[in-house]
Amino acid sequence: MSDDAVSPEEVRHVAELARVGLEDDEVDQFTRQFADILEYFETLDEVPEVDREADLVNVMRPDEERDSLDSEEALRNAPETEDGYFKGPNVS
Amino acid sequence: MTAQTVQQGDLVTVIGLEVHVQLETDTKIFCGCSTEPTDEPNENVCPVCLGLPGALPVLNEGAVEAAVKIGKAIDADIPEETRFHRKNYYYPDLPKNFQITQYDEPICADGELEISVEGDRRTVAIERAHLEEDPGSLQHVGGGGGIDTAEYTLVDYNRAGTPLMEIVTAPDFRSPDEVRAFLAELEEVLEYLGVFDAERDGSLRIDANLSIIPEEEIDGDAEEIDGDALEAANRTEVKNISSHKGAQKALAYEETRQKNAIQRGRAVEQETRHWDESRGITVSMRSKEEEKDYRYFEEADLPPLQVSGWKAEIAIPELPRARRRRFQEEYGLSEEAASKLTSTKQVADFYEDVAGEFDPDLAATWVADNLLGELNYRDMEITEMEGRLEEVTRLVELVAEDEITAKNARETVLRSMLDDGASPDEIVEEEGLGKTDEDEVQQAVVEAIDENPGAVEDYESGDDGAINFLVGQVMQKTGGSADPGDVNQLLRAELEG
Ligand SMILES: [Zn+2]
Repeated sequence: MSDDAVSPEEVRHVAELARVGLEDDEVDQFTRQFADILEYFETLDEVPEVDREADLVNVMRPDEERDSLDSEEALRNAPETEDGYFKGPNVS
Repeated sequence: MTAQTVQQGDLVTVIGLEVHVQLETDTKIFCGCSTEPTDEPNENVCPVCLGLPGALPVLNEGAVEAAVKIGKAIDADIPEETRFHRKNYYYPDLPKNFQITQYDEPICADGELEISVEGDRRTVAIERAHLEEDPGSLQHVGGGGGIDTAEYTLVDYNRAGTPLMEIVTAPDFRSPDEVRAFLAELEEVLEYLGVFDAERDGSLRIDANLSIIPEEEIDGDAEEIDGDALEAANRTEVKNISSHKGAQKALAYEETRQKNAIQRGRAVEQETRHWDESRGITVSMRSKEEEKDYRYFEEADLPPLQVSGWKAEIAIPELPRARRRRFQEEYGLSEEAASKLTSTKQVADFYEDVAGEFDPDLAATWVADNLLGELNYRDMEITEMEGRLEEVTRLVELVAEDEITAKNARETVLRSMLDDGASPDEIVEEEGLGKTDEDEVQQAVVEAIDENPGAVEDYESGDDGAINFLVGQVMQKTGGSADPGDVNQLLRAELEG
């Protein structure tokens, strides 16, 4: 594991930001996995540099209405709904 | 946390604002869904504003135009290049788990807005103004509906993606009254620009930072504060303010709360507080993420913007403050009248129409006092008179040409126009309010008597021939249209009466 490897505290913090509860053994497990994942990214260093595409600027659309989804369609993937709303747990 | 020293009577309030305004575009900022309010939840939604996988945002040109107009109005710089960032936080009002916003390269920087507070002019510095998307709206259901006690949450994404402009001021306010004056001025400016609808629910949301510092930390000039002193003082961020009246109340409460703490030798906590409008108090909120926890990074799906040139291309109308000044100079109005007549662009445009045709003072009385007064009494806005303003102009014409009395025009015709929807001519006809020829002759009789005391004296001392002189005067005044016999009778009745 390299020096910049992820610490258990960092894993707890990230879990907290993502509102995910972790047990102590899970923290250990994720600490190792995070380190592995960061290592995979190092592979990118081996990719040769290529010219990027021409820079795009000012990509915009006119302020004109387009069809929305109908609400049935919009809610189709939701695990729970009520009266046309998405329904979830208390989020205080 | 360091306790602050107790100081009586030499504390100064320092306030800075973050004002979120919804821009009045037809569609959302990154998709073509309508921004019109609907009765049903989740009607104006699509893969982009629901954050479905693979959906790509495309920026609404109308929102950028609105931002440039605001930049011009507050005299801000529009930088050569500006771009979008993702602000990451996990909360169900954001379906993507991040908000597209602007971070270190906002579309407007270094602006200002001039305000008047009780006759004093102040310039408030605006550090930046940036574009972002509005989150969706949540309902906390069950358990009394409190945010902490609710059983579950219902989510509506109709609002998600509505374009917002966040306007950030310097800590330039010294009182809640100044904040209120600023917000009122800002709202007027935004309405003049046609980029904002104050009537729309939730169109204005304010977060305010308030700290109390010792007066000696303020350099001679009351506008400049020692940055270290401000840094050293703990501040509270008050959230959930939704109107200028609300801002004044919330900040007056918070000012008193902090001053009381300091004067009792207690420390002011650095914290976020929630304004509870119904209870009229601020309450401590569990603190959320720190700035670094938002893990801002560039939004790679949106190429940068280069719109500094738009500043010269996009025209904006004369703004309320300039128009107020011009009304005073051009039409000779008082500051109060000019202020009323420029309160919205519609009112000001209508006043100029009427003042162009008739006497500016008469026009001011009719628009500022009579029309706005009667509308206000009925809880109506001038926008509800659209298509009927010509009728109001016609009513002013009837008064200007002396065809009806001002009293009848105001108390009968205008009220009936607003209450029954009839036109002024119909009402005048129905109510028989038109000044008749007899009224005109009668008025000439009274004038002839007033203007010729000598003849009246002769008549009263028995010289009956003097009446003929007075008849002649009346005939002259009425252009010969009256019947001399009737005039003779009227004169005698008036003189004997
Ligand atoms: Zn959409």
